[in-house]
Amino acid sequence: MRAADSAGRPIPSSVLSLGAQPLVSANAHAAPAHGGHEEHHHYTTTGLDSRKIAIWAFIGSECMLFASLISTYLIYKGRSIVGPFPHTAWTNPQTGQVMKPILNIPVTSASTFVLLMSSLAMVLALAAVENKDKPLPAGAGLGDRMLASSKLWLWATCLLGAGFLAFQAYEFTSFVHEGLTIKTNLFGSTFFTLTGFHGAHVTAGVIWLGTLLAIDYKRGLGPKDALNVDIAALYWHFVDVVWIAIFTLLYLIPD
Amino acid sequence: MTRNFRPRQLVRAALPALLLLAIAACGGNYPNSTFLPNTEFNRDLTATWNTMMFWGTIVFVVVEVILIVAIVRYRRRPGTPEPKHVHGNTLMEITWTVLPLVVLGIIAVPTVRYIWKYQAPAPADALKVQVIGHQWWWEFKYPQYNVSTANEVYLQAGRAVEFELRTVDVIHSFWIPALGGKRDLINNKTNILWFTPDSTGEQSFIGSCNEYCGDSHANMRFRAYTVNAANFESWARHQAANAVFPPPPPAATEAATAVPAANTGATQPAPAPAAAPSTGFEFPREQMGAHTLPSTPIPASLKFNEALLANGDATRGFETYSRSLCIGCHTIRGNPASRSPIGPDLTHLASRHTIAAGLFPNDAKHLAYWIKNAVAMKPGAKMQVVGKGEIDAVTKKPVAAGGLTDEQIADIVAYLRTLK
Amino acid sequence: MATVAASPTYASHATGEKEGIMAWLTTTDHKKIGTLYLHTSLFFFIFGGLEAVLMRWQLMKPNMTVVTADQFNQLFTMHGTTMVFLAIMPLSAAFFNYLIPLQLGARDVAFPRLNAFSYWVYLFGGLFITIPIFGWMAPNGGWFAYAPLSGRTYSPGINMDFWVLGIQILGVSSLAAAFNFATTVINLRAPGMNLMRMPMFTWMSFVTQFLIILAFPVITIALVFLQFDRFFGTNFYQVSAGADPLLWQHLFWVFGHPEVYILILPAFGLVSEVLPTNSKKPLFGYPVMAYSGILIGFLGFGVWAHHMFAVGMGPIGDTVFSLTTMLIAIPTGVKIFNWIFTMWGGSIRFTAAMKFAIGLIALFTIGGISGISHSSPPSDLQQTDTYYIVAHFHYVLFGGAIMGIFSGIYHYFPKMYGRYMNETLGTWHFWLNFIAMNLTFFPMHFSGMLGMPRRIYTYDANQGWDTFNMISTAGAFLLMPATLIFIYNFFSSKKGGEPAPPNAWDAATLEWSIPSPPPEYNFAKIPVVHSRYPLWDLTHPERTKDVPHTDAGMVHTGEHDVVDMHIETETFTAKQLGIPMPSATIKPFWTALGMVIMFTGLLMMPHNKTAGYAGIGVGAAMLVGFLYAWLTTPLEEHH
Repeated sequence: MRAADSAGRPIPSSVLSLGAQPLVSANAHAAPAHGGHEEHHHYTTTGLDSRKIAIWAFIGSECMLFASLISTYLIYKGRSIVGPFPHTAWTNPQTGQVMKPILNIPVTSASTFVLLMSSLAMVLALAAVENKDKPLPAGAGLGDRMLASSKLWLWATCLLGAGFLAFQAYEFTSFVHEGLTIKTNLFGSTFFTLTGFHGAHVTAGVIWLGTLLAIDYKRGLGPKDALNVDIAALYWHFVDVVWIAIFTLLYLIPD
Repeated sequence: MTRNFRPRQLVRAALPALLLLAIAACGGNYPNSTFLPNTEFNRDLTATWNTMMFWGTIVFVVVEVILIVAIVRYRRRPGTPEPKHVHGNTLMEITWTVLPLVVLGIIAVPTVRYIWKYQAPAPADALKVQVIGHQWWWEFKYPQYNVSTANEVYLQAGRAVEFELRTVDVIHSFWIPALGGKRDLINNKTNILWFTPDSTGEQSFIGSCNEYCGDSHANMRFRAYTVNAANFESWARHQAANAVFPPPPPAATEAATAVPAANTGATQPAPAPAAAPSTGFEFPREQMGAHTLPSTPIPASLKFNEALLANGDATRGFETYSRSLCIGCHTIRGNPASRSPIGPDLTHLASRHTIAAGLFPNDAKHLAYWIKNAVAMKPGAKMQVVGKGEIDAVTKKPVAAGGLTDEQIADIVAYLRTLK
Repeated sequence: MATVAASPTYASHATGEKEGIMAWLTTTDHKKIGTLYLHTSLFFFIFGGLEAVLMRWQLMKPNMTVVTADQFNQLFTMHGTTMVFLAIMPLSAAFFNYLIPLQLGARDVAFPRLNAFSYWVYLFGGLFITIPIFGWMAPNGGWFAYAPLSGRTYSPGINMDFWVLGIQILGVSSLAAAFNFATTVINLRAPGMNLMRMPMFTWMSFVTQFLIILAFPVITIALVFLQFDRFFGTNFYQVSAGADPLLWQHLFWVFGHPEVYILILPAFGLVSEVLPTNSKKPLFGYPVMAYSGILIGFLGFGVWAHHMFAVGMGPIGDTVFSLTTMLIAIPTGVKIFNWIFTMWGGSIRFTAAMKFAIGLIALFTIGGISGISHSSPPSDLQQTDTYYIVAHFHYVLFGGAIMGIFSGIYHYFPKMYGRYMNETLGTWHFWLNFIAMNLTFFPMHFSGMLGMPRRIYTYDANQGWDTFNMISTAGAFLLMPATLIFIYNFFSSKKGGEPAPPNAWDAATLEWSIPSPPPEYNFAKIPVVHSRYPLWDLTHPERTKDVPHTDAGMVHTGEHDVVDMHIETETFTAKQLGIPMPSATIKPFWTALGMVIMFTGLLMMPHNKTAGYAGIGVGAAMLVGFLYAWLTTPLEEHH
C-alpha cells in the first residue's frame, strides 16, 4: 500500500528503536572539521571501510592507465625518425655534431633510490600513526622516539618525494637543453608524457601527504586516522611500484 | 476502452513491408552484391556465408520457436496453477554450451583456412597496381606498365591483380564489393590485397572508400573495368605514352608509340613528347553497367554559360591551362608546364568515363562546372575554386585575380577533351 | 512518541533540507540522482534519435540534399557519441543509482556525494559535447575518431576539440561512478547477501563497473595523446614523425569493445529481473547466468582487434581475434537459453516490461547471429564498414540494450513513482517500436551485403540500394510516434497512473519490500537475507524451496541490530527514525562545474589565449576550492 495511507498514524516503537543504525558508509575524511566528533561504527559487508575498497578499485584503474602509457612507449621504441634517442648516439642535424644517448642512467638511478626510500619512510609514518597511543617503552632512546614520530616520517616521505620531483625537473630541463622536447620526436612525446604523468602522480601524492602533515600539526594524527594514512600510503606505494616498472623498461633496457 | 484493435495486430500491417523486402531481396538487380561469383574470394566467402547462414538460421529458428512456444504455451490464464519451480538443469545448460561450440567449430574451420589462403603472397605474374588514397580520390599506378591514372582502374580478366595500398593523408579503405573484400590504406604501412577476376568477362564495377575519411568520404568512388588481355595491353600502352598537343592526325601516330623505360608517371621530368597512339583501348561507354554511370546532380546554385562550350578553342585552352592555377597540382605528361604530382594525373583524362572520383560523367558540361567550382560540386574538395567570382573555400572571398572566366573555362575544357 | 504525517512523495527531508530546484541541485540521495540520470539520459536519447531521423531522411533516396556533407558527418558522429555516452550508459547509470542500493538492502551508495558529482559531470559534459551541433560546429570525425583524420592537420576546426575534451569529461563521470558502485556492491550488501544471492541486475552491474574501471583508463590515455597532439603538437598520431595511426585504433578498441558490454550487460541484468518475476519462476540457472556475465566481461577484453580485420594485421592476429570472438558467443548464447527456460513452464504475465524483455531475447539473437558472421575475418572483409554492421549493432544495442532498458523502465516505474505506467500505451509502444525497429534495421543487412558503405551522406542511383533505404527511412520515421507514446505515458503516469503497492509485480528481491516510492532511508530496518529470493521466501516459500538457504544464526551481523526479512509499508522521514542520512550539499555541483569550465578554457586556448587562461584559472580554482570544502565537511551531520 502506498505510504500516504499511513498518514497520521503513530510510528511503531519497534521501527524507532531499530532504525538508528547508520548503515550508510561514510566517506567523510577525518579532516579537521570531522576529527573531533565521535566516530560512528559503520556496518559494511567486508568489515573494511569503503574507502579502502575504493582505493583498490582506483589503483586497478590506474594500472590500466599506466599500462596504456607504457605500452605506447614500448610500441614506439626505436621508431623515432630524428634524434635525440634514448640509448643510441645521434647526429644533431643543425650542427652535424654527434651527440651521446640522452638518458642519464646514473642520475636516474639516484632518483629511483630516493623514491624507494620514500616508500620506506611512508611505512614508518603509517606505523607511527597506528602506534601513537602506545606509550614509549621505558628508557626509550632517540631511535625509539624517532620511530614514534609520525611528523618526522611524513616529512621524510614528502621531502623524498619532492627530491624525486627535483631530479625529474633537472632531467626534463637538461633534455630540453639538449634539444629534446615533447614535440621533437616519438621518443620525446612518449617519454615526457609517460614520465610526466608519473611525476604528476608523485606531485599529487606529495600534496596529499602535505595535508596529512598539516592535520598532524593541527591536532595530531592518531590510530583513528590510521585508515586515512593507510590509503595515502597505498597510493604512494603504488606510484613507487609504477616507477620501478618505468625505470626498468625505459632506462635499463636498451633498444 | 475499445478493444477492437490491438497493437499486436500492427504486425499484420508490417507483413506487406516484409514481403516487399523479400521481393526486393530476391528479384532486384544488385550490381554491387558481395555474393557475385566474380572471384574465387567471393565464391569461397559466399560458401562460408551459406554455411554460417545455414547454422545461423537453425539457431535462429530453434531459439525463436522455443521462445514463441514458451510464451504461447505458458501464458497466464485465469486459474493457471502455480508453476513448477525449476532452478536450472545442468545437463541442459551443458547442452546449450556445447552445441554452439560445435557450430562455431564448423564455422572456424573455413575461417582459419581462408584467413591464410587470402593473405598468402599473390602469384608472381600478378598485375601490380599501386593504389594511393587521397582525400577524396584514388590514384592508380601500374609499375609494370609505367601507367599513372586516377579513379578508374583497368584489370585484366583472368589475371591475378595485386594491389599495393598506401595513403598520403588519412586512412581510407579500398573496396570493390563485387570482386572481393576490402583492405585499409594506412599511413606508414603498405597493405596488400589480391584476387583474380576469373569469371567476369568485360565488365564495369563500382568501388568505394570504406573507411570514413572526412567531408567527401561518400564521394570517394572509383570504377574498375575488367578487360581481356589484348585490350588491357592496348589500354596500358596508350596510357603510358605522353599526351601530345595539338593531337597528331591519326595516321602519323602508330610509329611513335615507344614507351620511355624510365617513365614513372607523375614524377617523370617531361621528356620530349612521344606521340600517343590515338587508338588505345577504352572501355566502351555503351558496355558500362547502369550503376557505373554517375547521376549526381549539379548543384542548382552553380551557374555556367553552357552555350560557350560549343565554341571552346583547344589551342587557347592549352595556353590558358599552361598558365593557370591548374598546373600547381596536375600533371599532363607531354605538357612541360604541368608537372605537379598533387592532383590526379590528367594525361589521358579524356579516356576516362568519370571525373571527381566517380561523381560525374566525364563530358564537357560537367568538366566545366567542375573546373569552375569543384568545392560546390564536391563538398570539401581540395581542388582550388578557380571560377572568377566564385567564393573561395579557404578565404571565403570571391575569386578575383587568377580566376577564370566561363570563356576561359570553355577553352580549357576543349583542351582537356583532346587528352584521349 | 511523535505523530507524523508521512509524506507521499520523497521530497528531501535530509538534514540541511532544501526545497524546489535546490533540492535537486544539492541532493545526495541515490534515488533522486537516479531520477536525474533517467530524465537527462531520456532527453539525450530523444535528441540522438532525432539526429538519426535526420540522417535517414537524407538517405531516403539517392542524391538527396536534406543536409550537407559536413552536417551529415556531424550528425552521425553525434548520433553515435550521444547514444553511447549520453543515452545508453547513463540510462544504465540511472538504474545503477536507483536499484543497486535497494537491491542490496543499503541506505545509499558508498559515496553519496561522489555520486552527485558523477551526475553533474555527466550533465555538463553532455551539454558541452551536444550544444555545438546547434551551430553546426559539432564533432565530425566519427564517434571512433580515427587518427590521423581526428588530428589537427585534417580536422583543424574546433569540432573535434569538443569531442576530445567532452569524452574526457564524460570519462571522469563514468569512472567516479564505477568506483562508487563497485565499492557499494562489495561493501554495502545486507547481512546474509553473499555474492551468489545478489539479484541478477546487481550482478551484471557489478561486472559492468569492473569493465568501466579497467576500460576507461585506456580511452583516457588515447584521448590524452590526441589532446596533446591537437593542443601541444606532440607526435603520438603524427604520421610524418613516424607514428602508427593503428595505435589509436588499438587503444580505442581496447576500450571500445568492453564498452559494448558496458552497454549491454545492465540491460541483460534488467531482463533477468523482469523475466522471472513475470513468469512466477526463479531465474533458470542463476549461477551460470552470473558466471557467463563474468566470462563475457573477461573475454570482452580479448576481442578488440575484431574491429580491425581490414587493417592488415596478418594471419596470426586475425586467427587469434577471430577465435576469441567466436568464443564470446558461447556465454551470450547461454544467457539467451537460460532466459527462455526461465519462462518455460512458468505462468507468464505479459506486462509491457515483459514484452520488451521478450523482445530483447528475440532481437538480440538476430544481432548475435549476424555477429558470428563477422567474427570470421575473410567474411568480415565484405561486411566491415558497411550497412551490414550498422544492422548488426543496432540489433544488439537497440534490440538489446534499449529494449532491456525500456523493459526496466516499465518494470521499475511503480517503484520509482508509486504508480504504474499505462499498460495499453505500453503495449502500443512495444509493438510500434518492435515493428519500426525491424523495419529500420533489417533492410540494412541487405543494403550492406549488397555493397553499401557506412557513413556516406549520399549515394548514387542504380546501386541496388534504393528500396532498402526507403524502407529503413520509413521505419525510422515510424520510431518517432512509438517513442512519443512512451514519453507521453512516462510523464502522464507520474501523476495519473494507477497507484501501485510496494511489491508492484509480486517480485522476489529486496527493493520490493519497501514502500513505493521508497523513503529517503530506503530500509527502516535492514533485513537479513537468507536466499536469492528473500521476498518470495516470505510470500511464496514454495517457489524458493530448492535454492540454497541459510538460517539467521549463520549470518554474521556483528553487533548490529538487524532484523529478519520483512515487508515495510509505511514511509517516515529519516529524522523521525533517527537514521543519519548524508547531508544535502551543493559542493559536488560546483566542483563538477569548475572541472567543465576548466576544460572549456582549454578548448578556447587555440582561439583566444586570454579566455583560455581565464577559463582554466577560474575552473581550476573552483575545482580545488570546492573539492577542499567537500572533503573537509563530514558526510552526515551528527545528531
